[in-house]
Amino acid sequence: MKTPIAWRNLTHNKRKLLIAVSGVAFAVVLMFQQTGFENALFDSTVEIVKQTDCDVIIFNRARFALSSELRFKRDYINMAAGIKGVKSASPLFIDNTIALFHATNTQTAVKPKPRPIRVLGFDLNHTVWASDEINSQIQKLRTPDSALIDRLSKPEFGFQFDDQSLIGPSTGELLDSDVELVGTFKMGRDFAHEGNLVMSDRNFANYFRYRGIDPLSIVDLGLIKGQGIAAEELRNRIRAALPSAVTVVTKSEFIDREVAFWSASTPIGIIFKIGTAMGFAVGIIICYQILATDIADHLSELATLKAMGYSDNYFRSLVISESLILSILGFIPGLIFSLLIFQFSADMTGLIMLMTIPRAALILGLTVIMCLISGFIAMRKLIAADPASLF
Amino acid sequence: MKTDSKTIDELLENWDPDPDSLRVRVNGLQHYYGTGDARKQVLFNNTLNISPGEIVIMTGPSGSGKTTLLTLIGTLRSVQEGSLKIMDTELLGLSAKSIVELRKNIGFIFQAHNLFESLSAYQNVRMACELIHRKESEAKPKIEQVLTRLGLGERIHYKPKSLSGGQKQRVAIARGVINKPKLILADEPTAALDAESGREVVTMFQELASQTGCTILIVTHDNRILDVADRIVNMVDGHISSNVMVQRSATICSIIREFPAFSELTASNLTAVADSMELRRFETGQPIIQQGDVGTEFFVIAKGFVDIVIDGKRVNSLQSGDYFGEVALIKDQPRNATVLAKEPTSCFVLDKDEFRSIIDSSATFEDEVRQAIFDRQ
Repeated sequence: MKTPIAWRNLTHNKRKLLIAVSGVAFAVVLMFQQTGFENALFDSTVEIVKQTDCDVIIFNRARFALSSELRFKRDYINMAAGIKGVKSASPLFIDNTIALFHATNTQTAVKPKPRPIRVLGFDLNHTVWASDEINSQIQKLRTPDSALIDRLSKPEFGFQFDDQSLIGPSTGELLDSDVELVGTFKMGRDFAHEGNLVMSDRNFANYFRYRGIDPLSIVDLGLIKGQGIAAEELRNRIRAALPSAVTVVTKSEFIDREVAFWSASTPIGIIFKIGTAMGFAVGIIICYQILATDIADHLSELATLKAMGYSDNYFRSLVISESLILSILGFIPGLIFSLLIFQFSADMTGLIMLMTIPRAALILGLTVIMCLISGFIAMRKLIAADPASLF
Repeated sequence: MKTDSKTIDELLENWDPDPDSLRVRVNGLQHYYGTGDARKQVLFNNTLNISPGEIVIMTGPSGSGKTTLLTLIGTLRSVQEGSLKIMDTELLGLSAKSIVELRKNIGFIFQAHNLFESLSAYQNVRMACELIHRKESEAKPKIEQVLTRLGLGERIHYKPKSLSGGQKQRVAIARGVINKPKLILADEPTAALDAESGREVVTMFQELASQTGCTILIVTHDNRILDVADRIVNMVDGHISSNVMVQRSATICSIIREFPAFSELTASNLTAVADSMELRRFETGQPIIQQGDVGTEFFVIAKGFVDIVIDGKRVNSLQSGDYFGEVALIKDQPRNATVLAKEPTSCFVLDKDEFRSIIDSSATFEDEVRQAIFDRQ
């Protein structure tokens, strides 16, 4: 028989419990918030790559990040296409410009203003995208001046892009030329881009004439699909065949490289990690307050247990139990609230706010560690002191 | 009050307890609070021995060090200087692990009840049972019995919030005694109780002491419970100012008050005399005093018979309750007779200075003594 003192003490006073749980939940939300935005940055930035249907990616050796506009000659893609095991090799053209959209049949209160947008051009005869939504609208894109708009583009472009009824008749201006929105797809914004357009390589060439006499002769990314071959093996073959002017990596390596750039080579990763650490520190302070108060409130009773002959290990396990209970009780509402905030943030910013199990587990781990550290600080006096000095 | 011979037998038998059987042995104990300039001595060279089954009441003004001594004995403070043994274990320098083990043999009852608000009366008491790994099925009847005994039968599963101050204190007492500890230390256990429940508590203490040989040390100002004390220890300013074995004093008083000079003394002075008397035992035929020696002591026979012999001739015999040896002290003369133990005899002995100071304060004494001496011849 064992009386669950930890549970009883924590849950005895419902009001105190509510405050304690809210405190821990607050710290949990702070940490989720920071890691959430950090991940949103990474997830949103690589979303374009995730949505491609390819195994290996070729790009200019000097292209340190997706957003750096360093390109390579299309010839390399043609070279890659001839390598054994390559099913298809497709160019992806990426450029940024200013767009202005008009919703013709709506009395929108927001006066549309020209805004920066990312334009993705691809060969309609190749399956470049994993998204069925884009692939099913290929025919529409054959029309000159047509494009699909990312539904998650900033509403400030002028209207809600998820309202299909507004899409058809909507036109816009792209680089001083007309553009017709013939449909939508879903990709998402990131910190650098407010919206996305997808169009055929022909249309892309028409708009972006400044890219050269033949705008399609230089490429941003080369997307290679293999057949009956592992991505790593395919990468090695292509790497061996192509000159060192281009870098050849698998799709997942590309994603890792991009995340590593933002995380390590820019202050952004550090800033969010500091933010997470701050949440953790705030959590320790809150938990310490809660646990120290709880111990202080029961000091005479605990000292009585000590006088009876309860060992230091008993008090350690007691405080550990309280810490664990507190971290679990605080984590659950913290997680729920964070999910709501993620949803809200995603709606507001168009960023991708993903709550994955490893990410939730990381924060749960941090929460438990946070509560345990607080618990150990809080119980030092109880362990060290003579019982007589505790009354 | 005439003391019956059985009480005297018991008294004589337990006069010098075997030091190895003592439950508490305090020897030259000093204690200080604070450090550096703020260091203040609170206990000064205290010595106290307590036997199994003894109920000791410790009194004294607040700040006199009673609670400090109690908590030192209870291992709730570290011993700094001097020797303190409980149950034959020296506490000075004892390892933390051994202290934890030792605490399981001590029942502590604090001035504040210190009950967990989140646990019922039953669960609070069970916290003590869990320490010795008793099964719930074994502990349950015991807990219920103790709580019922203390008048809480109807409230076994109440939380402290629903109990009165006295009821909470009784739960705390139940928690302190449930494991039948060898040593019970109680700090003002009856302060929050009415006369009736206070009586129930001390009666239970007495039963525990007599049935389990448990030693009970109570710090209290409650004079309603003084009657249960086998010994009353008074502390003043960190010193044990008096340490009176109540039963022993009462018995000695009842014997020595037969002596004319002592019968006039107030009860407290008589007790003081009783406390300063020493017990001495003599074998059959052993001379207690020799004719012609210088008289330095006064004797009261606790048990046995003696012959008075003058110049080799037996002139009288005395028995328990009688006294001898006073003439030489009063007249400052050599002993006028020899006294021989006729059988194994025990006497209370008072030294000359103590004796003289009592005599000098007694106006009618000399006449009475003369009469007494006259009657004896």
